[in-house]
Amino acid sequence: MRNGNYNQTLNAGAQKTQSRRNLMSWLLTAPALIWLILFFLVPYFIVVIYSFLTPDIYDVQFEFSLEAYRQALNLQYLSTFFQSFRLAALTTLLCILLGFPVAYYIARAKDKVKNTLLVFIIIPFWTNLIIRIFSWRIFLSYNGVLNDLLMRSGLINQPLEIMRTDLAVLLVMVYVYLPYMILPLYSVLEKLDFTLLHAAMDLGANEIKAFFRITLPLAAEGIFAGSLLVFIPALGAYLIPQLVGNQRSLYLGQVITYKIKNIPRNWPMASALSLTLLVFVAILLVALFALYKRSKKLRRV
Amino acid sequence: MEEIRIENLTKDFDGFLAVDDVSLSINSGELFSFLGPSGCGKTTLLRMIAGFEIPAKGKILIGNTDITDLPPYKRQVNTIFQNYSLFPHMTVFDNVAFGLRIRKTPKLQIIERVKEMLSLVKMEDQANKYPDQISGGQKQRIAIVRALINQPKVLLLDEPLAALDLKLRQHMLIELMNIHDAVGITFIYVTHDQGEAMSISDRVAVMNHGKIVQSGPPDDIYERPASIFSAYFIGETNLITGEVIGIEENYVQLKCPDGAGNSLELDSTFNFPPYLGQELTLSLRPEKIAISRSKPRYQDDINVLKGTIEDILYLGSHTQYIVRVGALKFRVFSQHKRVYFDDKALDWDEPVWLFWHDTDSWLINQIPENVLSFNELADGGVNHYQRSSKRPYQA
Amino acid sequence: MKRLNISRFYQGMNLTAFSLVMVFLYIPILILIIFSFNNAKIITGWRGFTLKYYFQLFENDTIKEAFRNTMVIAGLSTFISTVLGVLTALGMENKKFSGRKLMSALIYVPLVIPDILMGVSLALLFNFTRVNTGMFTVLIAHITFCISYTVIVIQSRLEGFNYSLVEAAMDLGARPAYIFWKIKFPLMLPGIIAAALLAFTLSIDDFIITFFTSGRGFDTLPIYVEGTIRRGTITTINSLSTLMIGFTLFLVVITKRLRKILISTI
Repeated sequence: MRNGNYNQTLNAGAQKTQSRRNLMSWLLTAPALIWLILFFLVPYFIVVIYSFLTPDIYDVQFEFSLEAYRQALNLQYLSTFFQSFRLAALTTLLCILLGFPVAYYIARAKDKVKNTLLVFIIIPFWTNLIIRIFSWRIFLSYNGVLNDLLMRSGLINQPLEIMRTDLAVLLVMVYVYLPYMILPLYSVLEKLDFTLLHAAMDLGANEIKAFFRITLPLAAEGIFAGSLLVFIPALGAYLIPQLVGNQRSLYLGQVITYKIKNIPRNWPMASALSLTLLVFVAILLVALFALYKRSKKLRRV
Repeated sequence: MEEIRIENLTKDFDGFLAVDDVSLSINSGELFSFLGPSGCGKTTLLRMIAGFEIPAKGKILIGNTDITDLPPYKRQVNTIFQNYSLFPHMTVFDNVAFGLRIRKTPKLQIIERVKEMLSLVKMEDQANKYPDQISGGQKQRIAIVRALINQPKVLLLDEPLAALDLKLRQHMLIELMNIHDAVGITFIYVTHDQGEAMSISDRVAVMNHGKIVQSGPPDDIYERPASIFSAYFIGETNLITGEVIGIEENYVQLKCPDGAGNSLELDSTFNFPPYLGQELTLSLRPEKIAISRSKPRYQDDINVLKGTIEDILYLGSHTQYIVRVGALKFRVFSQHKRVYFDDKALDWDEPVWLFWHDTDSWLINQIPENVLSFNELADGGVNHYQRSSKRPYQA
Repeated sequence: MKRLNISRFYQGMNLTAFSLVMVFLYIPILILIIFSFNNAKIITGWRGFTLKYYFQLFENDTIKEAFRNTMVIAGLSTFISTVLGVLTALGMENKKFSGRKLMSALIYVPLVIPDILMGVSLALLFNFTRVNTGMFTVLIAHITFCISYTVIVIQSRLEGFNYSLVEAAMDLGARPAYIFWKIKFPLMLPGIIAAALLAFTLSIDDFIITFFTSGRGFDTLPIYVEGTIRRGTITTINSLSTLMIGFTLFLVVITKRLRKILISTI
């Protein structure tokens, strides 16, 4: 009862400043908000609409059709999905296996060296993607540097056919996405208290046990973040399969691009495939976050 | 002359009363401290004077002008923040000149005034350094002159020494007093460190739960605490509850249960009219108690108790004994320069006599809410409070 | 003794892995740089040193045009997305802002879905609205994907901002506008520059979204390079790539320098 009196005066004043600040926030964020609604949200609605239309050679006809979704469930497209999924999964796995020791090495390096080592990881990451892919073409192609070296050293008689294989695609994918795994792993491992490891070893755990019991669980957050950064873009990869892969086994990114760019166009098909990918990614993200939250809760208990 | 007047000032945060109907006035040129545990409302009070918080109710006046609703930049009040809040992208010079530049002071005058202020804190040669290139004590000095250059009527200091280490803190305390003497303006000082508040202030207001519990000169608060809270928050004390069983001309007789079924009879001078059967709390500072193997020879106006030493803590300048009397524990400080009554030093589990003069205890017209909490106060509770006030500079 | 050996083995393994990954990361790039000076039409063996492909580069109008397009797009999209990023980050500083969740979602979601989807959706938007694809549409697309990055980078800088500096300035008599320009903005500047550099690199690096939103006749460098590689006329690509790698290194060095200068002045 005592409080009622001034609470009213107070709340009026506080609410006024609060609502003024809120209005200010709306005004400041409005340009970006409108921009993202117009050019990020609205386009997806159009994708949804297009996925229910009838294809034309150059454009779409505004006639309702479920044909695109029916086709998307064909074995041919399902295998495309599988192909892309396998590539993304293998890329992620190889990136973890290769990236972990590297991140670990940098994290344990002396402070002075650390930054230099990091720059070495970041330079390729900043280098234009196409150039990096192109450099692999030079390296791997039929009459490229690798084959040249191997032939000269007498190890092989015939040039190896590495370019334009799924193996080449995987190799370049790992090459391109490796920094995305190393950087988040590094930032987690850097914060890791290495005295914990020593403590564990003092308590009798050997190196391998200590690694699995302590380092790995603590680095799980980095692996999780890195995997997201690698797996999701890898699902939609276009450029790498296009430039180092072959046309016999197409990946999802290529199929979607062909449906939009090549004539005859099939925009409803491209839309349906894009939406399927989007839904898949959304489900994956929701599931992973639920899992992550639960594991965090478990660890806290 | 009265400089600041606060009338019925109240502030709440989502229903939590941070400052509860506080009224007081601070004199011009005074060094006034607000002292209290964290969360007692002292910082909120200061922030309302500075203008960073809007009071829910009440008024703040400087001189005769009501500044309650003025924004901070229109008040003749400046603040020293706990973490100094020096602008990291400006040199020492630019930091100090900040206030003058806003007031569009001519350039030559700025240079002159800044130099003058820097020489006040002996930092003329650091003018071109950046805040991260100077030490904590130097940052503190810059923060002070950055505020003083604006010639405020009142300088507010929010735990200004909290981030410094012990030696520097003592040094800065003296320097603050010197600066206060040199500029002669009103300082309002907020701290939870009783030592700081006691040594620096002209007057101290002890705060708890958003209210001023007691205010007055430091010695007054220490020697004559008005409440149990003031008694145990400032300095260390023994608290014993008892019932008035006799009233004489100069003293009252108290019957105090010792918690083990017996009761102690203690005499104390009184400062308010007691009545028979009244329940009171006796506050007895540890340094006022004498400790000895033998009974004192003269026992007029002296309380004498027999107890057993339970713990001895050697603290350098003095030794602290914990002496058990019944179920009560008495904290006793014994200085080493004293000529011992006994040849040998006191030992654990030794029976000892405790005695003190009737006028060395102080009666508080208040009893702890229940016996249990009293026991905690007399033992662990006091311990706890003292520990936290000795180590106040936790993050 | 035994533990020491295992420990050393463990470290050695990591060093080996690190070195191998370094070789893996740099060998193709080094080969590309070396062969840009090779006097041969196709990449078989060393045929002597030449700079002629570099000269060809500067005579090629298509490349010059693509370079100009890339720079214009990168410059404009960096500027606009950084301005939007600053405004948005400032607006989202208010923790009680009622649109905070919506805004965060719109900023973070584009980062976690494959790029190609943004390309497809924008391509369909421009088809649906019958806008002629070209420089304008590419610019819109680049701003759209840069915004998320600029907001996040500037926001993270603002999070470390010590609000008591604003109170201190106010206390010393400064009004809100003065505080913004003299205190807040200078302290945000390193974050703003970092955001702009990131937006710039993302813009010049992008292929897939540009591919979907540019029309015929508007090529950026990545689009030009990809087309040339596919058509197989790659003689000048080596030298062009080397120059672009040089540009990247230049940016890395500049960022480091800039950061150092900024840290020393701020």
